[in-house]
Amino acid sequence: MALLVVCCVAANAQEARKPTSNLDFSAIKEGASLFRGNCSPCHGLNARGGGRGPDLSSGRWTHGSTDEEILRTISQGVPGTEMPANALEDSEIRTIIAYLRSLAPPRNITVPGDPAKGKKIFFGDAGCSNCHMVRGVGGVLGPDLSRVGAARSATYLIDSIRDPDKELSSGMTDPNNHYGLPLVYDTVTVVTTSGEKITGVARNEDTYSIQMITMAQQLQLFRKRELKEVSHQRRSLMPPYSEDALDAAQVQDLISYLETLRGMDEKEVR
Amino acid sequence: MKNAFLLILVVAAAALQAQVTFERLLRAPDEPQNWLTYSGRYSGWRYSALHEITTTNASRLAMEWVFQVGDLGQFETTPLVVDGVIYGTGQNDRAFAIDARTGRAIWRYQRNLPDKLQPCCGMVNRGFAILGNRLFMATLDAHVIALDTKTGNVLWDVMAADHHQAYTFTVAPLAVKNEVIVGISGGEYGVRGFIDAYDAASGKRLWRFNTVPSPGEPGNKTWKGDSWKMGGVPAWITGTYDPELNLLYWPTGNPSPSNYGGERDGDNLYSNSMLALDPDNGKLKWYFQFTPHDLYDYDATQIPILLDAEWEGRTRKLLAQANRNGFFYVLDRTDGKFLFATAFGHVTWATGIDSDGKPIVNTSLKATPEGTRVCPGALGLTNWYAPSYSPETGLIYVATSSECDIFTSAPQPYRAGHDFLGSVYVPDPVERPTGALKAIDALTGAEKWSFPYFSSPNGGALSTAGGVVFAGDSDGNFIVLNAKTGHDLWHVQLGAAIYSTAITFEVDQKEYVVIPAGSALFAFALRE
Repeated sequence: MALLVVCCVAANAQEARKPTSNLDFSAIKEGASLFRGNCSPCHGLNARGGGRGPDLSSGRWTHGSTDEEILRTISQGVPGTEMPANALEDSEIRTIIAYLRSLAPPRNITVPGDPAKGKKIFFGDAGCSNCHMVRGVGGVLGPDLSRVGAARSATYLIDSIRDPDKELSSGMTDPNNHYGLPLVYDTVTVVTTSGEKITGVARNEDTYSIQMITMAQQLQLFRKRELKEVSHQRRSLMPPYSEDALDAAQVQDLISYLETLRGMDEKEVR
Repeated sequence: MKNAFLLILVVAAAALQAQVTFERLLRAPDEPQNWLTYSGRYSGWRYSALHEITTTNASRLAMEWVFQVGDLGQFETTPLVVDGVIYGTGQNDRAFAIDARTGRAIWRYQRNLPDKLQPCCGMVNRGFAILGNRLFMATLDAHVIALDTKTGNVLWDVMAADHHQAYTFTVAPLAVKNEVIVGISGGEYGVRGFIDAYDAASGKRLWRFNTVPSPGEPGNKTWKGDSWKMGGVPAWITGTYDPELNLLYWPTGNPSPSNYGGERDGDNLYSNSMLALDPDNGKLKWYFQFTPHDLYDYDATQIPILLDAEWEGRTRKLLAQANRNGFFYVLDRTDGKFLFATAFGHVTWATGIDSDGKPIVNTSLKATPEGTRVCPGALGLTNWYAPSYSPETGLIYVATSSECDIFTSAPQPYRAGHDFLGSVYVPDPVERPTGALKAIDALTGAEKWSFPYFSSPNGGALSTAGGVVFAGDSDGNFIVLNAKTGHDLWHVQLGAAIYSTAITFEVDQKEYVVIPAGSALFAFALRE
């Protein structure tokens, strides 16, 4: 089954548009079915984003927001991303678009908060940049967030800050490893023959070896026969940020900063 | 003297280019230097009598050559080997002949495929059949073609079905007598499945067995209303053959829609079944249905293994199959009588198999809008990956997956040539799927050993008289195990997922083993 990854959600809430499709309820229903069959493995069953694909329910689109542009995105894919071309008929794609349009919020959503303050939080006391990189600055243990505003909804980002274990993606990312992609951000602990316990994230792993980045942000490469034990933990290494650590206003500022992050060539927040 | 020399040359040339007759196919086990059918022999064992590579020297395996297909996608071929030449197919209906000692191409072929083909699971092909000096290939646009072994030239080309209706071929044909036998793909699109036989000389279709009976035929009443018309039941894996009984054993796939049964009440014959067909006319001799009224895409398209063994005091002709639905079955292949079945992994869709061979179904596990967790998942406890049977150990080697899926209902109307699934499945996000190569006692179904894979597999197993099993995992490891114990003897990382199964052959008294991985064939032999 083809997997569909539509990279289209952007941080700027001003792009929400009235649906241009004029399709009836049955088309939306068919589109929902096609979406589940073709797109949900990456984008989630309800298009709210999955382990691999971004949230498609916000009505905001990175690669063009007209029906024709979205059709092109789905049929041709997005070069340089994991979004492949898809062999669906145009009529089928239009029902998927109708379904996605039906999920869009009724009016524009604005994201309150001060991006400049959020940036200070990110690179300052909250310590986000100790593990996350933005445009070449920051740590390497967690995902690079240079484009996170284009891929994730504000709700998802808030969940990730308050409860990082809520949306773990391992096992959902690449069923059967059909696409040969390495696992990422899979928390793992190994015990060496000398008894040293090392925790980090697995960048890749197979029957015989494991390649990981440790908590000290060092690459460590092991043959499994050189290890006493390899164990996987279904938890994120990111600490949860409670109200005590980041209050609601700080989180809002942080989200408003993250939503400005849409790639390497976007204007820098100052 | 000169004449004698010429005579020797002529004899040598003739030996090099000997035709592959039906008699040679029947006696394939007697020429282990070659690999003449998809499973290596008609009985489906994927076992070779070659024994140069053993449990004690497998660690000395080294690469001999690599052949690049020159295309992308899943490489699922089982190459054939005849007298020093390898014949294989590749992605997008490519094909090739290679010098087996050097890996150098002799010829290449690529079919000019139409746009907008819709194979469910990749632009794949699983290999050739050979008969005489012809190679037979079933193509993604639902044609059957014959190629010349020396040149790759097309000798005939016949259309079996309309690819616009999502009929496709991915199967490796089976040559029996003067026939080329193929089974169709397209179970995800509501095709009406069939198994065809074509005359090897002319390409004329000799018979067709429709795997979904029409009104008036036995079995049609197992379909509600007109649901039989888009009933699916493809037949996309190569069957096996018993020349004594003159019976062809061909397994079938899922009914359509694959994951929703509301519009097709009934057992939906002959879906997910083993068919015993008379190869002379395509008539059905018996059938056994493993998963009636399937809701989980449990195609029975696993290669049936034929073996004769003592059973309750007498020698009996048996058929064993580790089925995608999670149960290992043994039948009497003379009449299809059910002998026993036992689960070979974690199964929740059924609590067991009754004394008649019918599953005791857990009816609470239908797909819902919220999602229902079912084990095994839609890809099965095993799948099409080739099993292997070793007569020395009495074990059947089966690649297995631990994946359970969440089935979520997504009903859809039938439209010719379009997806027709009825629900969607995703792997259970809580448990990362892993895999294993399991050794199962052919006569009891008991697990003798299990070698763990980090990921769910897509490759099968080859066993040999050297006491070893060759296997490949989805993470690119080509692995050699001790056939008796499962002990890990050697492995090499090939850099891309393995979607097929190894074969072995001999040239110049040297045993080679060849495995497809990524988009290349890799050949190994013992280091001098």
